[in-house]
Amino acid sequence: MQRRRALIPYLLLAPGLLWLLFFFAWPLVQVFVASFWSGSVERGYSFSLSNWVNYPTAIEPVLPHVGRSLLYSATATVLTLLIAYPLAYTIAMRGGRAKNLLLFLIVAPFFTSFLLRTLSWKILLGDSGVIFGPLKDAGLLPPEFRVLATPMAVVAGITYNFLPFMTLPIYVALEKVDFRLVEAARDLYAGPWRRQGTVVGAIVGGGLVAGLALAFGWSPAIPTILAALVGAIIGRFLISEAFVRVTFPLSLPGVFAGSLLTFIPAMGDYVNAEFLGNPDSRMLGNVIQNRFLTQNDFPEASALSFILMGGILVIVMIYTRVLGTDQLTQSRV
Amino acid sequence: MPDSIDRSIEITRRRFLAGSAMAGFAAFLAACGTQGTGTAAPTGTSGTPATPPPSTAPVETKGVEATYSAELNWANWCCYLDVDPNDDTKWKTLEDFKAANGTTVNYQEVIDENEGFVASISNQITAGQDPGWDIIVVTDWMVARLVRLGWVEQFSLNNMPNYVANVRDVYKDQDWDPTMDHHAPWQTGMTGIGYDPTKTGELTSLKSLFEVNSKWKGKTEYLTEMRDSIGLTMLALGLDPRNPTRDGADQAVAAMLKARSDGIVRDVAGNYYTEDLVSGAAVLCMAWSGDVVGLASDAPNIKFLFPDEGVMFWTDNAVIPKGAVHKGTAELMIDWCYVPEHQAQIEAGISYVTPVKGVKELYEASTDQKALAEDPLRFPPAEIEPKLVQFGILSEEDEKYFNEQFAKVIGV
Repeated sequence: MQRRRALIPYLLLAPGLLWLLFFFAWPLVQVFVASFWSGSVERGYSFSLSNWVNYPTAIEPVLPHVGRSLLYSATATVLTLLIAYPLAYTIAMRGGRAKNLLLFLIVAPFFTSFLLRTLSWKILLGDSGVIFGPLKDAGLLPPEFRVLATPMAVVAGITYNFLPFMTLPIYVALEKVDFRLVEAARDLYAGPWRRQGTVVGAIVGGGLVAGLALAFGWSPAIPTILAALVGAIIGRFLISEAFVRVTFPLSLPGVFAGSLLTFIPAMGDYVNAEFLGNPDSRMLGNVIQNRFLTQNDFPEASALSFILMGGILVIVMIYTRVLGTDQLTQSRV
Repeated sequence: MPDSIDRSIEITRRRFLAGSAMAGFAAFLAACGTQGTGTAAPTGTSGTPATPPPSTAPVETKGVEATYSAELNWANWCCYLDVDPNDDTKWKTLEDFKAANGTTVNYQEVIDENEGFVASISNQITAGQDPGWDIIVVTDWMVARLVRLGWVEQFSLNNMPNYVANVRDVYKDQDWDPTMDHHAPWQTGMTGIGYDPTKTGELTSLKSLFEVNSKWKGKTEYLTEMRDSIGLTMLALGLDPRNPTRDGADQAVAAMLKARSDGIVRDVAGNYYTEDLVSGAAVLCMAWSGDVVGLASDAPNIKFLFPDEGVMFWTDNAVIPKGAVHKGTAELMIDWCYVPEHQAQIEAGISYVTPVKGVKELYEASTDQKALAEDPLRFPPAEIEPKLVQFGILSEEDEKYFNEQFAKVIGV
């Protein structure tokens, strides 16, 4: 009886482990082996450790793509956070009876295919589509203005596609916040707003947009001033001291999970860059897809896949160290 | 364009690629509604006894000694065969073939790219096993590779009198199969320019694709198919894509990269350039003939141009993979499609250039299909024929080099 009991955890683990073994670990090993191949489809492949040179050979010409992948996915992660947090906060704190409906609305886009959703952005962002068409007709935008086939469209696509992955974890974290803590903070003189909120808001908003402008090569002046203004207003009127001291720290595990769920798949994404971008905005995922499917260069494609995985792993480890969930729950609260 | 040709339901092979890759299989099924689907065995499996061929069956295959097998396995691309007008889950040609010879053809539209499909049967072929297909249809450069590798069966031309008699001369004299007994051309399509003359003015030359002109600056698109883009660029540069050299590829790639840095090129998107043409985001594109004609209802302004320098043309070919178990019947099936009457029936259901002689004459002589004979998509005008340029065959090393260089143009 005792022995049988001891077996139960393994039996429960077995389906998951087997699944991972066959559909994750084994393909991973195969890809790793393939990254040390040399040869071609016609001549066949041979394995040799000396083919480690596949790694530097593969990565050297595509360093710009690595940079773009990092830039686009980091930007999209920050943007999803900025959009998702107020969304999740409103649903969790003010959702009331409509909470379930609102949550459903966030998940609803998932009922259609990822590809279709991305393609519909082509229609929305069309050069003379529903958004820019009227603006151009009204003379507010120059006729040659476009968002499609630019990095902006790629980042917008990634942001949109991964928004629910950011919203839901933050919602779950906020939902768990005991509101009595906020009340207690208020009793202990946490004000409804912060004196320095205006300044911090302006710096955060302005800095963010200035950084974006620098990275994407826009002219920074006007957007930065506008963003600083918006940031100042938000910091002054919408952010309370109780929020900064209590609610936000308690919701950080959700932010942490959401950022990982957004950043990691965004790094490997190629669909948005393929459909919404152009040759100047392709990401590392597009390169890997091209090496695997068009060039049939399995060794180089495998090497690039491993470099991508390794890179993400390092970034995530650093991120976890800086903002690990353990530290969040133990020391800061 | 003759009014009587209804293109609203036509889906060309390359459009299918775009559709299936981007919109998913479900969307494709919806779009393909009237065309039947490849998954339902279109020939039926009822095993009804063979009935005599219809009295209108025009040509008897004489001197055929091979016996017909009860089944035949045929892999093809989407939308490459005529659907039975009375039952859109069946293929008319295959029904007729069964009625005449008793062979049930397991016809599947499983090919959506050359490399991937051939990879799926390469292990069986190299191991000397049955590859599972008796006929496969692949593009000419892939046939050249398969012939080079010895992965296809040699036809017994005795079995194929209609093929020998009716294959059009323009398809002969291929370096990779000079005796024409390893492949039979299936259908041909063309790559030229799709453009909106109301925005760009009338154009005649491929050079426009590389010219800084405010009318199409930032509104020009190239194709992601390496042979199409490099081929058209080589033609524009006065080079000959029939003999593609590394130097030619370098020059073509440099020209395209320069066009990109000059801001002429909006995208090298390939498959969905048609949407940009319709929306007006692009006004000048490298384009596939079938696509542009298919746009007539959405964007009547868009025209297909056969440029002065030439158009690229590509052919998909029926071959019998090494080790196929029904080789004799496969030859008879291919030969069946080379009977002009049978080909005319196939051709009426799809819209490509046919490799079979005598089809145009049949349309001209008919009362209800005259318009088909006037269709430049099926029958390029005589003055166009010399302009049709086929991309030369690349060695494996050269192909790798071309793909690597072209990747720079796509931005990967």
